[in-house]
Amino acid sequence: MFYVKFLAKRFVAIIITLAAVIAISYVMMYYSPGGFMNTTQLASALAPLAAQDPAAYQKLMEQFQSRYGLNLPLWKQVLLYEWHTFTFNFGNSMQNPTLSIVSQLKDALPISVFLAFGSVVVSVVIGIPMGVIAALKRNSWVDYLVTTLSMFGQAIPSFVLAVLFVLIFGVVWQNVLPVTGWGTPADAVLPILSLAAGNIGVVARYMRGSLIETMRQDFIRTAKAKGVKYWALVIRHGVRNSLTALITVIGPQFAFTVVGTVWVENIFAIPGLGKVISTAFTNFDFPMAITAVFILGATIMLTNLVVDLIYSWMDPRVKLQ
Amino acid sequence: MAIAVSQPQAPARRARRNSPMYRAWQRYRKNWFAVAGLIWVIIFFIIGIIGPWIAPYSYTYADFLHMHSGPSWQHWFGTDTVGYDVFSQILYSIRYALEIALGATCVSFLIGVILGLWAGLAGGLIDIIVMRAVDFMFALPSFFFALILMVLLGKGIFPMILAIGVPGWAGYARLIRSLVLAMRNGEMVEAARALGASQWHIARKYMFPNVMGSMVVSLAFGIPYDLTAQAGLSIVGMGLNPPMPSFGNMLAQAGANILGFPWLLYFPAGVFAITLLSFLFVADGLQEAFNPKGGV
Repeated sequence: MFYVKFLAKRFVAIIITLAAVIAISYVMMYYSPGGFMNTTQLASALAPLAAQDPAAYQKLMEQFQSRYGLNLPLWKQVLLYEWHTFTFNFGNSMQNPTLSIVSQLKDALPISVFLAFGSVVVSVVIGIPMGVIAALKRNSWVDYLVTTLSMFGQAIPSFVLAVLFVLIFGVVWQNVLPVTGWGTPADAVLPILSLAAGNIGVVARYMRGSLIETMRQDFIRTAKAKGVKYWALVIRHGVRNSLTALITVIGPQFAFTVVGTVWVENIFAIPGLGKVISTAFTNFDFPMAITAVFILGATIMLTNLVVDLIYSWMDPRVKLQ
Repeated sequence: MAIAVSQPQAPARRARRNSPMYRAWQRYRKNWFAVAGLIWVIIFFIIGIIGPWIAPYSYTYADFLHMHSGPSWQHWFGTDTVGYDVFSQILYSIRYALEIALGATCVSFLIGVILGLWAGLAGGLIDIIVMRAVDFMFALPSFFFALILMVLLGKGIFPMILAIGVPGWAGYARLIRSLVLAMRNGEMVEAARALGASQWHIARKYMFPNVMGSMVVSLAFGIPYDLTAQAGLSIVGMGLNPPMPSFGNMLAQAGANILGFPWLLYFPAGVFAITLLSFLFVADGLQEAFNPKGGV
């Protein structure tokens, strides 16, 4: 019963947030100085028509506006758009008017989700052992190496790493790993690595701090006095108790990684949601842009919800609210 | 003799040594990475100020005779696909990157301080509204808000400052609000007030030194984040328009032309990476210096 109430509350919050995001983005794009029909390519293609036959040009523009409901009053547009989005009726994009947005995103979304989740998984798998070793060998050269490496990972954005990977695997070691495109599992290695570097740094640093803190607790001393073997002590008593705190960083890191996919997909030419977003924004393709932000936002917020549930399940002392 | 001479100065020096700033600097100095980062950050600022004067070429000057040429005496870091001098482009992009990142951080900080103070001091309904807005801003990455704002504001330096700065206020507002609440109900302030200290005295001697550390640290972490966001917008194609040099544009171009002209990548990526690292080292050093107990 408690969980039902908690979930209901969170879902309402998510829906309100998404509705606000859609309304804000719609109004901003409505008042933006450029428009889809004014982008350089289209405007220059339509210029002769506008000059020769202003009536036909006017008719074309009106047709375009009425197709996307742009001739309605603003409040009506926003409400209609909200209604359509929350009934998952995303309509058609402006760039490909004959294709529905759903059919265009159907292939793109799984790619981005795979990249984002993959990089979080990789960062947990690599970052936790790094943090544990650094914490156990505190102030040794291993510790300094891990701390410095994780600083590097955190500081250097995924797009810089991505370009460096393109250099290393595109120029120096050719034919080891593909640097552009999408299709085979090998294509996912470099994007996931460049996205994971920052997360590895965060996870390792957090794990280190958290484990050092845990190993100072009284129950560790008790376990040691009881004669628990060293590795059992570290893993069963230390790491397990530190992991609960680590869960809290996964949520923000996931959001951060989703932004990273937008950059990395552009550099590795991966047809994911990030690539869709950047083409939609640069071409003023508003329905597509808002839908993509809506879907990424929903993914992030649902992931955060799941993270909170896992956290309360792992550490029953934590109160959900 | 020596004792007699040094005696009159002693109280003043001891007071200086006990000031939080001095002790923070003592701790900061011990961190080699932080000092190295600070030195590079200072150089970076100097280049940002004098860059356009020492740049050998204008950023609009395309040397058509030396397109895609590697590093040489004429073009230290080579030229790109249009013939722009990469060294000059880097000098100009440092200036624009700094303008945008510092401007955006100031905008975020200003909005955050105003809303955080308002929420913390007024309390009640205003507090609830501001904190709901903070939750809202944290629900989505601020980069998406920046993208949407860029569409509204158009391209350019000032729009970028606003697009990156305006969505970034939430973290500062939450920090300031929590500091205000902690201070207002703190025993130290209460004790000072009981002893008859004036508001101004309390603010200057008790509140400011305690609040300053957290604010400096959060500002120091904000700048590299805004630098990244600024380059990230260009990667997506929503940054400065191409003749205006920026790290994001150079990196995107380098990625596209990497097979033939790797030097287009070495220098911009190197300078950008070192800069971000230095800012992070400085921020980390400041965190340790101002907050020696806590922090992971």
